[in-house]
Amino acid sequence: MAAPLRPTSLRNLNLLLRTAPRFVQNQFRAQSTSSVNPEEVSHFNALASTWWDPHGSSRLLHLMNPLRHNFIRGCHASQPKPGPTSNLRYLDIGCGGGIFAESAARLPSTGSVVAIDPSPEVLAVAKAHARRDPGLQGKLTYLNTSIEGLPQPESVEEQYDVLSLFEVIEHITHPADFLDTCAPFVKPGGWIVMSTIARSWTSWLTTKVVAEDIARIVPRGTHDWEKYINEEELRGYFLRERGWNSPRVMGVVYIPGLGWKEVAGSEKVGNYFFGIRKDEV
Amino acid sequence: MKPTTASARTRQLGNYICSSCSHQLRRQRRGYASVTQSIKPSIYDVVCVGGGPAGLSLLAALRSSPATANLKVALVESQDLSKTRDFLLPPNQFSNRCSSLTPSSVRFLDTIGAWKHVKKERVQGYTEMQVWDGISGARIEFDWHAEKEAGRGERPIAFMNENLNLTSGLLKRIDELGGVEIMDRERVENIGFGEESEEVDLRMWPVVELNGGRRLAARLLVGADGANSPVRAFSGIESRGWDYERHGVVATLETEGSGWGGDASKTAYQRFLPTGPVAMLPLPGNYSTLVWSTTPALAAHLKTLSPKDFIAMVNAAFRLSPVDLAYMHTQASGQADEFSWRAQHTEFDMQRIPQKAVGVQEGSIASFPLKLRHADTYIGERVALVGDAAHTIHPLAGQGLNQGQGDVESLVKTIEFAVTHGQDIGVEMSLEQYNVERYAANNMLLGVCDKLHKLYTVESGPLVGLRSIGLRAINSLGPLKAFLMAQAAGTGVKIL
Repeated sequence: MAAPLRPTSLRNLNLLLRTAPRFVQNQFRAQSTSSVNPEEVSHFNALASTWWDPHGSSRLLHLMNPLRHNFIRGCHASQPKPGPTSNLRYLDIGCGGGIFAESAARLPSTGSVVAIDPSPEVLAVAKAHARRDPGLQGKLTYLNTSIEGLPQPESVEEQYDVLSLFEVIEHITHPADFLDTCAPFVKPGGWIVMSTIARSWTSWLTTKVVAEDIARIVPRGTHDWEKYINEEELRGYFLRERGWNSPRVMGVVYIPGLGWKEVAGSEKVGNYFFGIRKDEV
Repeated sequence: MKPTTASARTRQLGNYICSSCSHQLRRQRRGYASVTQSIKPSIYDVVCVGGGPAGLSLLAALRSSPATANLKVALVESQDLSKTRDFLLPPNQFSNRCSSLTPSSVRFLDTIGAWKHVKKERVQGYTEMQVWDGISGARIEFDWHAEKEAGRGERPIAFMNENLNLTSGLLKRIDELGGVEIMDRERVENIGFGEESEEVDLRMWPVVELNGGRRLAARLLVGADGANSPVRAFSGIESRGWDYERHGVVATLETEGSGWGGDASKTAYQRFLPTGPVAMLPLPGNYSTLVWSTTPALAAHLKTLSPKDFIAMVNAAFRLSPVDLAYMHTQASGQADEFSWRAQHTEFDMQRIPQKAVGVQEGSIASFPLKLRHADTYIGERVALVGDAAHTIHPLAGQGLNQGQGDVESLVKTIEFAVTHGQDIGVEMSLEQYNVERYAANNMLLGVCDKLHKLYTVESGPLVGLRSIGLRAINSLGPLKAFLMAQAAGTGVKIL
């Protein structure tokens, strides 16, 4: 069973032992202008062909997708005043092969979905796959761009009710800058929803050592443990920035044979959803 | 639309499907080239092939659930459904195709709003079951009265109902809800794949071609099309099993009374004979339905008898020894006299066997071969199988139709989940839960009924003693019996 640990796993272990908070803060901001890391793009380019294979490397993402909708529903239900129930506008950043984007576009409450990804190969897969469902026509638009390449909204009508960042933030080198760029795209009263992985002993063990090295259910090099972000860091960022309220979190655990399950408190150790609402002017 | 030739399109398809399938496609395309290329398929979310109990309850359930009511659905059925819709028989006539509906099936039919359209005066609940061994006489009695004393209230074990009464009620519910495109008296000519156009790529979508020339592209194609399911054949799913070398003889019987307990407390009777089980199941009033599983030769013999002799054979089957019965099967006629003579010399407890049959409804004697079949899986890409298309069971436990209702309930739940979570309801991944839920459960029932059949076709030797001990032991163990009864009623704890 003992597969050899890869150098990156060992390097991460070393970092974990040092646990220097300074390191994380340094990583949070930088001078670069694009949020996109070229190494990440080439990694996902290589994965493009298997994106929609239900028994392939993206199976865990496919299985997680219903929870994303449950989480968004939970966010909307928590609002003091119920939000709109029809014609919702979604912006899905880092859409990959379009697992979430397609599903969001199929919901009867959705008006339109704009989904962007910097990897041209992955986006080609997404576009080709969307053509297989005539129901998506006119509701789903794919753009091969980073968030920086998207024109800034000039009115509330051009902003989005839901901006989603699913399994994205852990692939971004400078998350704070990236979130700064995302913020103007959200409507007042709209939500940023995201899912990611906490930086903990457990997540290092499960996502790097077990998932990538031993069980190999996730392709090697998919995760860079150093870039994982903890929930309190995200919450801290948004509340510091002001203009945001009602942070929500939901920890989830993958249990073989049962699938993804919500487990209270597990956001501290592994995969979790995070949502936060933009103030209504 | 891109001007592609048929052969070019087939080449493209070659990348996605195996070579044997593309061979088939090439053949189909050649055959239909002149027709199909001009007609663009209409796009549906669900196309259900087969308008039997499973198919109709699927459509009624989809239309009555708020989550799935927006789906565009169509039904394809080769028979004329207006005959089903107008099902009407006088109170003293019953169709010979009856099924036992478990309380759990009835609850589901009620949830989807169909049960209120079923004619209740033609439905008969029963609260007791008498099952015994034809050779040793060992017996198991299922009786809800004991349950009632335990304070759980009297619940019927199951309800006998004519299949037509059910399908007619389901059709009325579908008519009431509206929104189903019903294409009856339409044969499925062919099932192939769609084409690619500028806007959409339907090369992975099943396209059903009807003899009227219509083409229906299905996001999800449901095969509710019976044991020889064309949908199953299209999807390449194998169905395995064996034939029992038995036929089920059915008939509508008139008995000397309305049962020992009257209309309020009816009993189902089943005796295991070496040739197979014979069952008499109560219908309203003085009527019962017969299901007699026996060898094809004996079944053929029964069908040649005069009504008088047929009735005598039925009465003998519940009363006389297998040896007596075997003798009477050798007679070309005269069973009525033979029975009255032999019955005088046989002892039996009147209250534990059905009342004597005194008449058989004209034209109601029929027979069909019994077999066991189970599909390897119930799902494929854009395909789901329900009911007999997925499994065929020995009728001894009366579970066939109920399994189909269980399939439909589970499939609709799976589709509801997919719709509310934005999944494409046709892709295999969205359907996985349906297969997981139903396959193991059905497989267990198929196995249990198969083993029971085999156990009771043994005429002598230690097995007869063992099975009798088994029946007597179960009969004396209250909790175990309650558990078995709950399983029969479909209300029990899920074993799997």
